Amino acid sequence: MAAGKKVWDWEISAKTSYWDWSLPELWSYRYLLSSLVRRDFLLKYQQTILGPLWILLLPILTLITYVLVFGKLVGISTGETPKVLFYFSGIVLWNLFSDSFTGTSNTFRENARLFSKVYFPRIVMPAAVTSSHFLQFLIQFALLLLLIGYYGIFQGYRPSFSLWVVGFPIAIVLVGVIGFSLGLLFSVLTAKYRDMVSLINLGIRLFMFLTPVIYPLASVPDNLHWIVTLNPLTPLFELFRLGLLGEGVVTPANLIYSLLFAIIVALAALLTFNKQGDKLIDVV
Amino acid sequence: MSDVVIEVEELSKIYRLGSIGTGSLRQDLQRWWTTSVLKKNDLFFSGKDTNAAAQRQFLWALQNISFQVKQGEALGIIGSNGSGKSTLLKIISRIVRPTNGLVRGKGKVSSLLEVGTGFHQELSGRENIYISGYILGMSKNEIQKKFDEIVAFSGVEKFIDTPVKRYSSGMYVRLAFAVAAHLEPDILIVDEVLAVGDADFQKKCLGKMREVSRADGRTILFVSHSMQAVKNLCDKALWLNQGKMMASGPVSHVVNSYLSGVQQLKLKQQWATPDEAPGNDLVRLKSVELIPQTANPDEPLDIRAALTVRFQFWNMSDDVLLSAGLHLFTYGGDCIFDVPAPATTCDKGIVEGECTIPGNFLNDGSYYISLIILRDTSVVLYHYEECLSFELEDYRENIQWYGKWSGAVRPKLPFALKQSKMALQE
Repeated sequence: MAAGKKVWDWEISAKTSYWDWSLPELWSYRYLLSSLVRRDFLLKYQQTILGPLWILLLPILTLITYVLVFGKLVGISTGETPKVLFYFSGIVLWNLFSDSFTGTSNTFRENARLFSKVYFPRIVMPAAVTSSHFLQFLIQFALLLLLIGYYGIFQGYRPSFSLWVVGFPIAIVLVGVIGFSLGLLFSVLTAKYRDMVSLINLGIRLFMFLTPVIYPLASVPDNLHWIVTLNPLTPLFELFRLGLLGEGVVTPANLIYSLLFAIIVALAALLTFNKQGDKLIDVV
Repeated sequence: MSDVVIEVEELSKIYRLGSIGTGSLRQDLQRWWTTSVLKKNDLFFSGKDTNAAAQRQFLWALQNISFQVKQGEALGIIGSNGSGKSTLLKIISRIVRPTNGLVRGKGKVSSLLEVGTGFHQELSGRENIYISGYILGMSKNEIQKKFDEIVAFSGVEKFIDTPVKRYSSGMYVRLAFAVAAHLEPDILIVDEVLAVGDADFQKKCLGKMREVSRADGRTILFVSHSMQAVKNLCDKALWLNQGKMMASGPVSHVVNSYLSGVQQLKLKQQWATPDEAPGNDLVRLKSVELIPQTANPDEPLDIRAALTVRFQFWNMSDDVLLSAGLHLFTYGGDCIFDVPAPATTCDKGIVEGECTIPGNFLNDGSYYISLIILRDTSVVLYHYEECLSFELEDYRENIQWYGKWSGAVRPKLPFALKQSKMALQE
């Protein structure tokens, strides 16, 4: 320590900054993250009869509904792809987005008590929520792969694979990133303005219809095409299906648009969360 | 040892009062309009507005607080409710941001502002130890190393794999504190809420904290309403009142000035007319007063002082047989004695009574007095609870022992040892 000049480890002032992530600090909280994910799983399935089976059961039930309603009743064409595979791939990826989005957007509301009693990097909480939804996604994704295998072996389904197969992990990551980042942005808003909660719940349901979850982009009428393509999730869903099922409409321009959107929204979310996070404790 | 580990400079915190939830979007827009578009100074942040109406919307939770804490020191923070103690702790713990000012420090900080931070009802004791430990900033190694110790300290070995929702509240608190007690930060911040559970467990907690500060050389910031606990644990103290620092320095000095500041409130109460006095149609209290029989009334009361309780009340009916009872309670609510005044026939008018508690009789601590006025020796006419409260300071002479003296009373009874004339071997 230099004479006359004190060296401080930390400093707290009125100013909050946009960018003061301390990586060593975050790293030291990695166990908190993993135990929060663990807690999430334990809590969700404690005192349920089927337990973790629900992770698979819910999307399967959704799948049955979609096949009946949109497939049989409404009769939306899914192209060459079997309806089951088409809908299930959409459901699985959409769940990843909507779960991580709604999960993170409640960060401040759900943890207000905890946040007002102890300090830890606030980002750990939404990160844990997203991680646990991502794990859930991986389990559902495994079921999707099994279904594809089943259709390939027993139903004579031959998806036309191409080089695009490398694209589906990119789609997954970007969908996760966008869900998490939008969630973070909205978490700041829901903390301040509770009205946002209802808006989010409604908005996410409507948003699903703007995303090619239950219909392929190819079947969208031309006059509505632009709205659906404006949605940055659209190219990612198409890329996901193109990679796995060999059917989808993707152009490089669309993909770059989604990628840029993901990067910008992620940066904006991290900056806002960092800047506003500490102030929000007074408001929540 | 004389290193400064926490430095607080000109710390202030303002809270906006009123409804935060509704209309805050409008307020936010308004504020944005005045500050960003009209380029006016924001009242909320400048804090120097002349507009009294606007001033009332803000609450200075802390106002220009500055102090330093050296390594290994235990600093007690005292003050009445709403004086800003918890806000100060929250700022130093990085939970809320100050409005102005700066806190700087060295070393790892852990704060215990509630019992069972991060505990979840549905999880087992084992899970909760881990998750709570992580949230409070322990590392995996630390927890694993201390796991057995934590379980032993809490005494819930048998139930460690049972969800904590099935624990008794005592077990819950013990487990929660056990986790907290095994933290090893450089600076430990403790709010009084930790002082829960039975007396025995409280003692254990305080003992553990003392051990942490004295033996391991850790710095402690401790908020409490219990002057006894502060005096036992801390070397220095800080007295806050409505966000302002009233005094700071050696613990006994600060505690004394705090007590003599607070005490006056309840040493005397009087009412000018029967209409505003507490009571009912039969009797109304006129005044009640505690008069210490000491030479210097400005000094804090200590256990040597005899205390006279004098009271007057308006009696509204003629020819009734009145009597009174004086109850003395410890601050914890245990009744120490109930002194009855013999029944007397009284007429309409003012009735007065007086009772003296001898000096060298009560132990040090906080007490309060309740007054009961009875008719025909058994019918309660009026019961005025906590009409007086006071605190007695410790005083010891020729006694080489400084721990907390146990017992509700400390009477001076004739008691002596002497050498017996009998030989060791008969």
